Amino acid sequence: MQKYLSVFFLSLEQELYHRASFLMDRARSITILIAFYAFWSTIFQDRATLLGYTKSQMFTYVLGMNVLRALVFSDKTWEIIREINTGKISAYLIRPISYVGYSISRDLSDKVMSLSSAILEVLLAILVLAIPLYVPQHGATFLAFIICVSLAILLYFLMSYAVSALAFWTAESAGPRFCFELFLEFAAGAFFPLDVLPTYLRKLFEALPFASLLFFPLNILLERISPSQILKGLLIQLVWIFIFAFITRTLWKKGLESYGAEGG
Amino acid sequence: MIAIQTENLSKQFKISLKKPGLKGAIHSFFNKEYKIVHALKNISFQINRGELVGFLGPNGAGKTTTLKLLSGLLYPTSGKMTILGYVPFKREELFLKKFSMVMGQRTQLWWDLPARETFALNQKIYEIPEIVFKKRKEELIEILELKELVDVPVKKLSLGERMKAELACALLHEPEILLLDEPTLGLDLLMQKKLRHFILEYNKRTESTIVLTSHNMSDVEELCKRVMIVNEGQLLYDGELEKIVEHYTPEKLVTLSSSKTIEPELLKKFGRMVSINGTTAKIEVARKEVASTIQKLFNAIPLIDLSIEELPIEEIIRRVFSKIPSQLVIQETNMEESLNKEETETKKNLGERLSP
Repeated sequence: MQKYLSVFFLSLEQELYHRASFLMDRARSITILIAFYAFWSTIFQDRATLLGYTKSQMFTYVLGMNVLRALVFSDKTWEIIREINTGKISAYLIRPISYVGYSISRDLSDKVMSLSSAILEVLLAILVLAIPLYVPQHGATFLAFIICVSLAILLYFLMSYAVSALAFWTAESAGPRFCFELFLEFAAGAFFPLDVLPTYLRKLFEALPFASLLFFPLNILLERISPSQILKGLLIQLVWIFIFAFITRTLWKKGLESYGAEGG
Repeated sequence: MIAIQTENLSKQFKISLKKPGLKGAIHSFFNKEYKIVHALKNISFQINRGELVGFLGPNGAGKTTTLKLLSGLLYPTSGKMTILGYVPFKREELFLKKFSMVMGQRTQLWWDLPARETFALNQKIYEIPEIVFKKRKEELIEILELKELVDVPVKKLSLGERMKAELACALLHEPEILLLDEPTLGLDLLMQKKLRHFILEYNKRTESTIVLTSHNMSDVEELCKRVMIVNEGQLLYDGELEKIVEHYTPEKLVTLSSSKTIEPELLKKFGRMVSINGTTAKIEVARKEVASTIQKLFNAIPLIDLSIEELPIEEIIRRVFSKIPSQLVIQETNMEESLNKEETETKKNLGERLSP
């Protein structure tokens, strides 16, 4: 366990070392925040509800999305891809440390960094722009939300870990990875609530693992869905976690077997 | 006690081919073609505990592939191997704790952070007790002269400095098996010497088994009693370094200097000419005929000085690789030309092996 803690702290240190790219990331997230704020303010004007969202619900969605995105989508899978493509992964495979554990530790350090700054940004936005927030009415909402977010983090890790395994077979897995990210953000509801979409598309994304990463937990927080819908959603999450756990395991097993340890 | 054992070890790679140009790229996009490369063919050997063995061979001969198989990074296509009784590719924790591999072009050090940080990480990874870790770390920093380097971000280090830090990092857990791929790559001559001395010391002190590959003949000459020569995936020679000389070269190298300019035409009668430069020349003479040839040389040329040596090992190995027949007493007239041809053939051979 200590070794993984060590990796976690070392990653934090490394992250701090890369100040420029860290600040860039923050600038990106602040831009998105302002853009969405401006966008939804304009659309709402003096309407009371839109797509079934009240104004405070919509703004909470946008802000919450910013925080959840940092929590769920922060990862180091680009590093994994690079390590596979350059053969650097060898340096870990020959040491008594599990690569999954190592990857998770690194991911967690990335999440801690992103999350803490996302929370700061959102707090700042709330204070400066005086954004009205939706406050959940029931205590159970928080419990359901926490469970759902934890499962979302796990599911996202499994999905991205599966995609990075493609690097074992192609040197160009950055492409698939980029498409995966873009589509994922769209289908998870990071750009706008999925209610914007035609019903059949929304239903599709809800059945697929995507909606359960952002859209679903935010809907729990905004208390827009019934307890039975929550249970159904959590069940869908669990099913996808099992499916992806299986896919990821198989891909990594096969990948490591065929790993040519580049440059031999 | 046997530390490393392999039996008919073979490894094949599937390599995708691409025809030249855009057309080729499109073609291979739809219809990828593969070629099977036999990186290792039926290699069998045993290495005893405490031995220091050198692997020699041109690029792509199979040296690194062998090391990667031994380290468990690659799965063998067929054959058996065990290290300290473990099967490497199973990657059992106990095995991983007992060995270390340093690869010249790969770093296990964290690029943006000082080497000291990776040392600390390795302490945790290998579960080294604090007191032992401290002692070993100080020792390694001392011997490898790392004092000023361990607190500098790794990416600011020169290649040689990084290599030293790399080695220190790999030895913190005092592995019983040490695999070194090109350990002196990028080091200056003085540091190369120090590093070799260090490796030798480590080998003696810990009775560890060390396998190294190198392009640097001095590495092998100074460190390894036993060498294995691999080429095109086959083990060509496994034995004492000194015996290679007898094994592969029926000639000796005769260096002579004369008071007059030496006529190349005249010299060719005595042996295969290696070089000629006015009054000095080098020829290769068959081992058995050395004595009689020298007699004749004295009669034919006004000699000032003469020495008889074994061929340099580098040259011998070059011949092993390029499969030049050992009967090299060429009698044809155009010596220069045939020498050049040899060179180009060697390069061509190497070139073919270099391109996967």
